[in-house]
Amino acid sequence: MDNKFTFRIGGVHPADRKLSRDCAIEVLPLPEKVSVSMAQHLGAPAKPVVAPGDRVKTGQVIAEPAGFVSAFVHSPVTGTVTAVASKADLAGKMVMHIDIDVEKDEWAEGIDLTPELVTPLPDDKQLILDRIKAAGVVGLGGATFPTHIKLCPPPGKTAEYLIINGAECEPYLTSDYRMMLERPREILIGAALMQKVLGGPKCIAAVEDNKPEAVESLKDALHFLQLFSKDYENIEIRVLKKKYPQGGEKQLIDAVTGRQVKSMGLPIDAGAVVQNVATSFAVYEAVQKKKPLLTNVLSVTGDCLPPERQHNYLFRIGIPLRYIAQVAGGVPEEAVKIVSGGPMMGKAIANLDATTVKGSSSLLYLSAKQTLRREEGPCIRCGKCAQACPMGLEPFLLKKLAEVGDQQALEQNAVQDCLECGCCQYTCPAYLPLLDTIRIAKADVLNLIKSRPKN
Amino acid sequence: MEQLVVSPSPHLHARANTASIMRDVLIALSPAVVVSLVFYGWSELLLLGVCVLSCLLTEALIEKYLMKAPVTIADGSAAVTAVLLALNLPAGCPWWVAVIGSVFAIGVVKMTFGGLGQNIFNPAIAARVFLLVSFPSQMTAWARPASIASAWSLSPVDAVSGATPLGVVSEGLRAGLPLDQIFAENGFSYAQMLLVNLGGSAGELSAVALLAGFVYLLARKVIKPTTTLSIWLTILGVSGIFYLYNPSAYTDPVFNLLTGGVLLGSIFMATDYVTSPMSRTGCIIFGFGIGLQTMLIRYFGAYPEGMSFAILLMNAFVPLINRYCHQPKYGRA
Ligand code: SF4
Ligand code: SF4
Repeated sequence: MDNKFTFRIGGVHPADRKLSRDCAIEVLPLPEKVSVSMAQHLGAPAKPVVAPGDRVKTGQVIAEPAGFVSAFVHSPVTGTVTAVASKADLAGKMVMHIDIDVEKDEWAEGIDLTPELVTPLPDDKQLILDRIKAAGVVGLGGATFPTHIKLCPPPGKTAEYLIINGAECEPYLTSDYRMMLERPREILIGAALMQKVLGGPKCIAAVEDNKPEAVESLKDALHFLQLFSKDYENIEIRVLKKKYPQGGEKQLIDAVTGRQVKSMGLPIDAGAVVQNVATSFAVYEAVQKKKPLLTNVLSVTGDCLPPERQHNYLFRIGIPLRYIAQVAGGVPEEAVKIVSGGPMMGKAIANLDATTVKGSSSLLYLSAKQTLRREEGPCIRCGKCAQACPMGLEPFLLKKLAEVGDQQALEQNAVQDCLECGCCQYTCPAYLPLLDTIRIAKADVLNLIKSRPKN
Repeated sequence: MEQLVVSPSPHLHARANTASIMRDVLIALSPAVVVSLVFYGWSELLLLGVCVLSCLLTEALIEKYLMKAPVTIADGSAAVTAVLLALNLPAGCPWWVAVIGSVFAIGVVKMTFGGLGQNIFNPAIAARVFLLVSFPSQMTAWARPASIASAWSLSPVDAVSGATPLGVVSEGLRAGLPLDQIFAENGFSYAQMLLVNLGGSAGELSAVALLAGFVYLLARKVIKPTTTLSIWLTILGVSGIFYLYNPSAYTDPVFNLLTGGVLLGSIFMATDYVTSPMSRTGCIIFGFGIGLQTMLIRYFGAYPEGMSFAILLMNAFVPLINRYCHQPKYGRA
């Protein structure tokens, strides 16, 4: 009998295509210039605290949070600030950036750069939180929500589960996988740190069954850590049955705990906090090494690339995308679209001169055959979109309602619950652009809901 | 600067599309088609050809000249209707009946509602019912070649003709004969119904061929088993109750499942995407309605079979079912 868990509603099975899974993480050499975005997290963009001409060291704060939901940004390099100005991000949207000419790599004081693993956890919860905040750690699983806020449940709510998200359910992406293979101990120490801050909920690291090596690696690491201290007793490694979008917070909570987050609610309403494995690693570095979030791992991958040109790079945040593409051998001929993130939810890059941000996870090259949209036909009412929807919505209906602009019916049919996971559009045999329409309708309905007086 | 394609996510699409699904349905129908050709020969090939030709032509002409829209016969949906209609015609049925049925199916049932995806009734089923009502004698009698050899011989041959098993049985019951006697006199057996049941429509020929198609459709995830199973269970249940009550007056469950187009209808017509409900609950209700009405018509109605009438009637309820039956939503239990 199959006793592996997965989420209960909907989901699809796109082919895995983890082409870069066996490529060890390489350190990406530094370029001559970097450009650091102020909008690398959900919430208010950070406020620059440096000016052109200033000299900055690696790891030094260059921008401060500009509001409750915001985060610190640090210089990824040592050099001179050349500009603090608005520039286009990868989608062409204008965002404040700090440009720095790279001179050398001299780190700010107090950062532990030694490779030693630091296992003892600090006792002071506030200290842990303060270090996470000071290091500018944000969720690296996609939403880039500032981590320290997520670790402080609102009054009256407690976390019963801390779920470490190692699902990496998007096709092609392998950065989390490589981290689980190469840095499992750090990931679990990060998990234990967050567990401590949250008051000791049950911690479950969840990995899909297409990554047995990652499961083994985490299990070994857990075993190793448990030899040192009791701090790692309450951590479990859980194998989940592969299905997209398992890595979605709501789906992961359902898969791991059997609970569902109520509509418009937060994971904490179901007693759960979800953190990605890469975030967990960043927490480790922030707390145990006092190292700010300056690096992340990114896969350069796609079917247009031969095996020897697939890469997983440890990159400094702020390195331009074009530089990474060049180091990796240039954009392949066949690629017509480059996606930052997975093929299901990632963003198509409009501007390769844009820079990497904390949450960057890939440069995914897609060929015309793979990605160009095909001519749409009439809806054949097959219901496949509804069967695929992990929120149990009826995309065919939402699209129709959106076309006539019936906001009331859209809200009743829960358009606001849409995850924008793309399962519906991926599945639709008539090639209907379901999510394109639903996305707009969802934004409208959310605005409507927000504009209502709260009682 | 290079030209990058920029479009919103998702950036990939699953392999299946409308045309590939229709192709899968045609593949699933192929065992039944092959069996019918083997046993019924030239006359069946003629029916099939006439149906396919007139369905595709009707759709193409209407789209081109009346709707002034792109011709979409390549999506395969008209071909599916054509094959289904051919399988629904009795063996040896006149070719002009097939033409009328095809034109009605595509021209009236499908295109007047706006074409693929818009029709309320399943075109093949609606056409069958239309023909049944308009040409009752041509639609209830069959004539088949005396043997496989004669089916494919080029010279005109003798034909055997008769009524369908269900027709024979209801005729016999009306005459006051007990069931086992009717079965024995006509040489009916389950094994024969399962493998090759000569006589009747091409789609009733072989249960095994239809079931093979069912397995294929499930394996290819073209359909879910819900509707089909719901119909079968209802038919088995309802006829089971009546049969237990009086075995010599009411036909038994297995007989009812294997005759009168129940398999063809439940596997291929009631599962038509366009004219069946979207949700699981909806499909269960839909299947129950079809099964129940089929049995009521058979036991108490004027027509010996009933499957097509039941599907047609339940087609009409689909919008209502869809309105009230939804799948469970996440976090809104
Ligand atoms: S994009 Fe929205 S509507 Fe479509 S499957 Fe995902 S959650 Fe459902
Ligand atoms: S998947 Fe596409 S064709 Fe099927 S019901 Fe949904 S919108 Fe219609």
